[in-house]
This record gives sequence, C-alpha cells and structure tokens, in this order.
Amino acid sequence: MKVVIAGAGEVGTHLARMLSHENHDIVLMDNDPEKLAQISREVDLMTVTGSAHSFVDLKETGLNKADLFIAVTTSEERNVLACAMASYLGVARTIARINNSEYLQARYREKLKNMGIHEFIYPESLAAKEIVSSVKLTGTRQYFEFSGGKLILMGIKIRGNAPIVNRPLEELGSLLKDIVAVSISRGNENIIPSGKDMILSGDVVYFVTNRSTQQRLFELTGKELFEVKNIMFLGGSRIAQKTIEKLGDNYRIKVIEVNRERCSMIADQFENVLVINGDGRNLDLLQEEGLAKMDAFIATTGSSEVNLLSCHLAKSIGIKRTVAEVENFALINTAENMDIGTIVNKKLIAASYIYRFTLNAEISNVKCLTSSEAEVFEFIAKPGTRITEKPVRELDFPSEAKLGGIIRGDQGFVASGNMQVQEGDKVVVFTVPSGMKKLEKFFK
Amino acid sequence: MNYKTIFRIVGLMLLVEGAALLISLLIAWLAGGSDVMAFAWSSLACLVPGLLLVMATRKSSMMISRTEGFLIVTLVWLIFSLFGTLPYIFSRTIPGFADAFFETMSGFTTTGASVVDNLETFPKGILFWRALTHWLGGMGIIVLFLTMMPAFGIGGMQLYSAEVPGMTVEKISPRIYQTARIVWGVYVLLTLVEVILLMFGGMSLFDSVCHAFATMATGGFSTKQASIAFWPSPYIQYVITLFMFLAGTNFTLLYFAGRGKFSRLFRDEEFRYYFLFVLGFTILIFSGLLISTKLPAEQAFRDSLFTVVSVITTTGFVTADYLMWRPVLYMLVFILFFFGGSTGSTGGGVKIMRIVLLLKNSYYELRRIIHPSGVIPVKFNKHAIEPRVISNVLAFFMFYLMVFFVSTVILMIFVGDMDTSMGAVASCLGNIGPGLGSVGPVFTYSAVPDAGKVFLSLLMMLGRLELFTVLVIFSPSFWTDQ
Repeated sequence: MKVVIAGAGEVGTHLARMLSHENHDIVLMDNDPEKLAQISREVDLMTVTGSAHSFVDLKETGLNKADLFIAVTTSEERNVLACAMASYLGVARTIARINNSEYLQARYREKLKNMGIHEFIYPESLAAKEIVSSVKLTGTRQYFEFSGGKLILMGIKIRGNAPIVNRPLEELGSLLKDIVAVSISRGNENIIPSGKDMILSGDVVYFVTNRSTQQRLFELTGKELFEVKNIMFLGGSRIAQKTIEKLGDNYRIKVIEVNRERCSMIADQFENVLVINGDGRNLDLLQEEGLAKMDAFIATTGSSEVNLLSCHLAKSIGIKRTVAEVENFALINTAENMDIGTIVNKKLIAASYIYRFTLNAEISNVKCLTSSEAEVFEFIAKPGTRITEKPVRELDFPSEAKLGGIIRGDQGFVASGNMQVQEGDKVVVFTVPSGMKKLEKFFK
Repeated sequence: MNYKTIFRIVGLMLLVEGAALLISLLIAWLAGGSDVMAFAWSSLACLVPGLLLVMATRKSSMMISRTEGFLIVTLVWLIFSLFGTLPYIFSRTIPGFADAFFETMSGFTTTGASVVDNLETFPKGILFWRALTHWLGGMGIIVLFLTMMPAFGIGGMQLYSAEVPGMTVEKISPRIYQTARIVWGVYVLLTLVEVILLMFGGMSLFDSVCHAFATMATGGFSTKQASIAFWPSPYIQYVITLFMFLAGTNFTLLYFAGRGKFSRLFRDEEFRYYFLFVLGFTILIFSGLLISTKLPAEQAFRDSLFTVVSVITTTGFVTADYLMWRPVLYMLVFILFFFGGSTGSTGGGVKIMRIVLLLKNSYYELRRIIHPSGVIPVKFNKHAIEPRVISNVLAFFMFYLMVFFVSTVILMIFVGDMDTSMGAVASCLGNIGPGLGSVGPVFTYSAVPDAGKVFLSLLMMLGRLELFTVLVIFSPSFWTDQ
C-alpha cells in the first residue's frame, strides 16, 4: 500500500518507521528538510520537502496513486485542509490529526466526509481514555475492551503474592477457565506463551477474559482492588485536561502546573478541580499538597523524565496507582524495570489507531501494547478464510501469534483448543510483528 | 562489522557475475568461437564459490550499516573485477593477469582503456563479455543487485549511495529497490533504442549491441581496433554522440522526460550547464579546427562535437586523433578530462554539479570579501546549498587533485614520460579511456609495465566509486569508531 504522511513530527516519523517495516511504500513530507534528512538516513522511504497545504507540493508526493493520506502536522487547521486537498487530488482515504473533539461528533461526520476528510485521530483523547480506564480499574496496567466489553484485555503486573506464579500454564488447567494468557513481557523479552511457559513475579502479563471472570482473575493474580478518590495530576497538558473531562465529577482532583496562564485556563474550564501553580519537581510542594494521601498520581508534563521520576517517587511513598506519560521510546524499557505503574505513549496509541487502516485483511480493531512489542488485532472472519476451516487446535497457528477469543453475535468466548471459528465471528488475536505476515494468511 | 552479511552479499554478487558469464557463454556458443570452454570454466568458477558462500551464510541479518556499505561496495567491485579476468585468461586472449585485470577493471568502471592491440582476432564471446562488463558497471553492479533484492530496505540505501555517483541520492520512488528498478529500466530502454538506431545505420546486430552497451555505460570499448572511426558514416557517429550525451545526463531527469515532463530537464541547473559546457567547448574546438586544418566544415564539426561529448561524458570513443590537432585544442580536451557527466548518470569524473558548485562558491567568495557580514549562500536549482555540502565538494576536489598529482608522480616511475603519465592518470581516474602521449586515442595501454597497469586499475576503481567510498575505508576512524 502506498501511504503519504504529511508532518515529520513524532507521530509522523513513528508511523513512517512502523509502516515502512511492514513493507508499505511511504512518502513523508514536511517543510523542514533537516528533519526529513534525519529520517531518510534510517528508514527506506521517499521524502518531499514542502507544505502540506500546497497543491504543488502535494502533487509531488504522487498522491493520485496513493491509498492513504495521513496529515499529522502540528496544526489542526493545516491537517484538515491538507486532507481535503489530498482527496481532491485523488487519494482514496484521508486521516487528519486533530485536537478538538468537535470534529468527532457524529452529526458533522457526513459533512466532513463530503469535504474529503474520512477519518480523524485525536491522540490526546485516545491517551486520556487509556488513563481513565487505568484509574477506574485499579488492578490493571492496561485495559482494553473488544466489541463493547464482550471480551476484555487486561495487562497485569504480577507480584510474588499471586497464586498462579511459578507454575507452568498447562498445570493451572481449570483455574484458568475462560482466561487466556496471551503475552508475557519479562524485562526486554516478549513471550507469546505456550502451555510449558511459567508466569514469574515481575512479569507484565496480558490476559483475555470476559466480564464475569474478571474478578476471579484479580484473585488469581493477587490483586486487591481499591477505589480511587483523590487524584493528583502533574502537568496540565492537553492529555490531562482531556482526562479530567472524561473522569467526570466523582473525583477530588488536584492539578499542579508550572505555567500560570495554563493554570487559569484549567481553573476556568473545570469546576471541581483545584489548580496549583508550581513546579512539580519541587518535592516539598508535592508533599505540602498532600501527595501521600493520593490514591492515584498522573504525570503528563512535557518531559518524559520528570514524569518517570515523579511517578517513581509517588510509588515509593506508597501511592498505588501511577500513570506516567513517556514519549521517549528509549525510556519505556527502562521505565518497565523501574516500577512506574502504567505508562502511556501518545505516539504508540496514535500509530496503532492509524495502523489498522493499512492492513489488508478485514480488521475492526488494533491495539499496540505499551510495555510489549506485541499487537492485538480484532479480525473479522470472512467466508472461506483458513481460520474457519478447522478447530483452533488443528490450525497450525504460527507460534508468534496467539488466539485470545472470539465474539459471535452478542457473546464473547475466551479461546480454547476445541473452539472453531465461524464466518462472521470477530477474532481477537495477538502477535509480535514478525508473525503479522503469517497471520494475515489465515484471514485472507 | 557484520562479516556474515558482507560475505553473503559477496556470494550473491558472484552468482550474478556467474549468470552474466553464462550469457556470454551463450553468445560464444552461438558464434561457434574458440572461447566456449573458457566461459564454461569461468562461470563455474564464479557460481561454485558464490553458492558455497550463500549457503554458508544463510541466516545473516539484512541490516547494513553505513560503514559496512562502503566496505561491501569496495569489496564487491574488487572481487567482481578479479573474477571477471577469468574468461580473458582461460581463453588465452589476454593471458597476463595484470593485463586481464586492467581490461576487466577498465570494463566494469566504464573507463574503456584497453591493453589489446589485436582486437580483430578476438572471438565474439570475449568481445561481448568486454562490452557486457561496461554495461553492468555503467548503471552499477550493486544497483543491479538491489533491483533483485527488495528485502534490503534501508541497508540497500547504504549500498546505493556508496555506489551511485553524486552527493545525495535522489529517490524517484519510496523504496530504494523501486528506484533502482526505474533507473535500470530507463537504462535498458535507451540501450534497446540505440541498438535499433545503430542497426539502421548498417551496423551488424552484434556490433550494435556491443556499442550500445559501451555508449550507454559511457564506457568506450569498441569491437574494432580503430574504435568508432571504423564506421565513417556520419549517421552512426551522430547517433552515438546523442546517446553518449544522454548517458551523461541524470537518469532521474531522463525518467521524467520520458514521462512527458520535458520542462524538468531544462529547468534543471546541472543539465543546463552540462548542455552549455558541451556547446561551448564544441564551438571553441570547431572554430579552432576550421582555422588550423583543411577539414570540411561538417567533418570538423562532427569530430569536435564527438570528441567533446565523448570526453565530457567520460565515454572515450574515438573518431579523430585529438593529439594530431594543435596543442591548444588538445589542451581544451584535456581540461574536459576533469569535468565528467552529470550526477546520477553513468558518466565518471568530477561531475558537472560539483564543478558548477566549486565555480559558484569561488565566485561568491569574492562577494563575501566585499561584504564580510553578508549572508551569501551558494544556490543551485534555486535552493541554497548547505555549507556542509560545499565543504564536501571542496574536500572531494582536493582529494581528486591530490590523487591526480601523487599518482602522476608514481606512474612516472614506471613510465618516465610526463605527458603519458598525466594523461593516463587523469583518464583512468576520470574513467575516460584515451589519454595523452603514448596512451593517446590511437594507442593502447599495452606498453605500460605490469605494475603500472595494476596501479591504474585501482585508480579506475577509486574514480568510479568517487574516492570517498574507497578512501573512507583507509581512514583510522572507520575501524576504531565502531
């Protein structure tokens, strides 16, 4: 597939890198030749220096033969305009990055589609959603619902007190009924588990299960649930604002922000939020504001390092729930070993959202796991595809991938060996990137 | 340094060379020449070690770093030339190793300098192989290899930029292998057209193919001892002039021109200068010839145009012995030795773009002296060129001159006479072919001692890979900063 990406910022370059490795043909445009030179030394793609909202420059990218146009420049207006222009120039599908949820409302969608802007991506909003779910569900690192909650994916950090620790998965048998461990992250390693693998203390394990089994999973992993009431935000970034908006009124929220103007803006925008103007790196200030009494601590300042360190501090004084926004990929692995809690990466979230538009097989959902290189896909099993031919056990499924479960009609089923996928089922599958090609064959 | 990957690529390249030898074997067999067995053994000698290397390195990574790219390209060129000598040696046409190495290197680097004094006695297979070495080396053996290997990704880019002439790589398509395919496609197409046009002029199919190979690669090997002068037909000479000129043009531009965007061709500053240089030197030499000789005007024009295009594109075909002209006229030709074709063409030498940037930068330096705080960037194609690029070009030119002078001194130890040494070094370094003195257009390099031949062969490789790719391997930081 030929993809044109406008904007060589963080999201743009990450997407270009990822899609190029997936053997898509990438044309990346930006008005800064320096940025383009940098990435073209690392990734096999074509670059075009120019403005995303110039017809002449857009034509240079060969848009009329492209399948997908992604506008992820820093400016929302430019992205929207660029998508409209790209559609006019003949690209099949466009995606614009926005920072205003107004565009997402259903009643304007048709109008926007007529203008040639087909999809929107709002990375801050997606990140906020992820933070909210991790605050609401205190046992998990990552929580993700398929088909409105018929199956759920939970990433759980396993401690020594979990009953299932240090035992091969096949021995656990009935204990793990309706629960499938689909991916284990251990240090920098990433395991798609088979029956012989064991879960060790310190692993982050991704499970697929359903609502009714959720509670049992928490027991098995030794998690005690608690209610979050007091939340402290470090940094009043757009992600923080979006999160506060989504959290609603049932929490006592404090926001610490260093920029005075932004403080008044947040105070203006939200009723029941206490905004404190101060530097979050100042430990005294944090303690004075009752850091120790907080149930959750969410650090989303512009600096990944500050977020990491402050969360580490919060953990060390006993705050159970911490969320750090880490935009620097190199730091994510370090963070895993530092006991930081949940990590949110805007780029990864945005990229995984866009990723699904580039896949061949019918896919309704895709999700990149933050602390693992694995990805989760929700495929729709079409008639005549290989996945529907035999029961799962006999399918010769690639070892890099694992079936999580299926959703048939209104019901979700957690995967088991005897299960057979039928036409029209939604199939939840996990894979590391190297298994993607093999996996696609089962759904084509 | 990932030696496994390096050996794998060398192995794969040997397979490519083996395949090229098999094609020559076919030609030799069709022509019923005495060289069939020589090609059979040569291709076997490439395919067997190639296969062994490829088998032994099966699970190697596809990642290639910058430094590995330089090493691989240099190694591949050396090994390609070493194995390319086999048909000459086995068929006893060029029995000496130094001679055969010179001839092969001259072929692959598209220099076109020859040590052969009895070309007419050569079997057709060998003549074809000589032309084929040109054709493979012209667009680049690595580039050819990349067209077959989509899997290399960014690693391919490292190889590509180490082989393809010019300062930056201009991609026509998102993937490097697609870009390689496009330029090879243009190359193949132009070669085909030239074959047909030459056949219209009465050349035999075999000679047309060999000459088209040599022209499009800006090589210079002919199938006749007298080179193009063998065919006095003005039509053939003009056709070859035209295709030499095209081969010296940036292939990206040719691709766009072929798709109807002719304006891009003349909008390009390098092409405009290339055109102007050809025009200017032709007018100078043409008027010189009119004044100093009694040649008919048409022939004087044809000889001067052919010589100018042949030398500036670094092809080295000969229709007239420029050394018989007035010294001032062959001095003009010698100046052209340092020009070379456009970036992204098959031509060698310094390249038009570098010459223009050097001239502009020197000229602007005068303005910078008058306005000490002025911001006066060198502009090319309406864009300011970064100081880094200018410094790169200056360094290149300095290296070029240094290599030229040092090599001339070294060669004079073997040869003695200065004209010959300077001409031979400038000609080999610029991948041109004929030089001055006793290596002039009507002579060959056969009189140069063996040591001198090997030395000149290495100079050809240095010139073809544009100095940096090879020189960087000899810098200490290449090996220590890993």
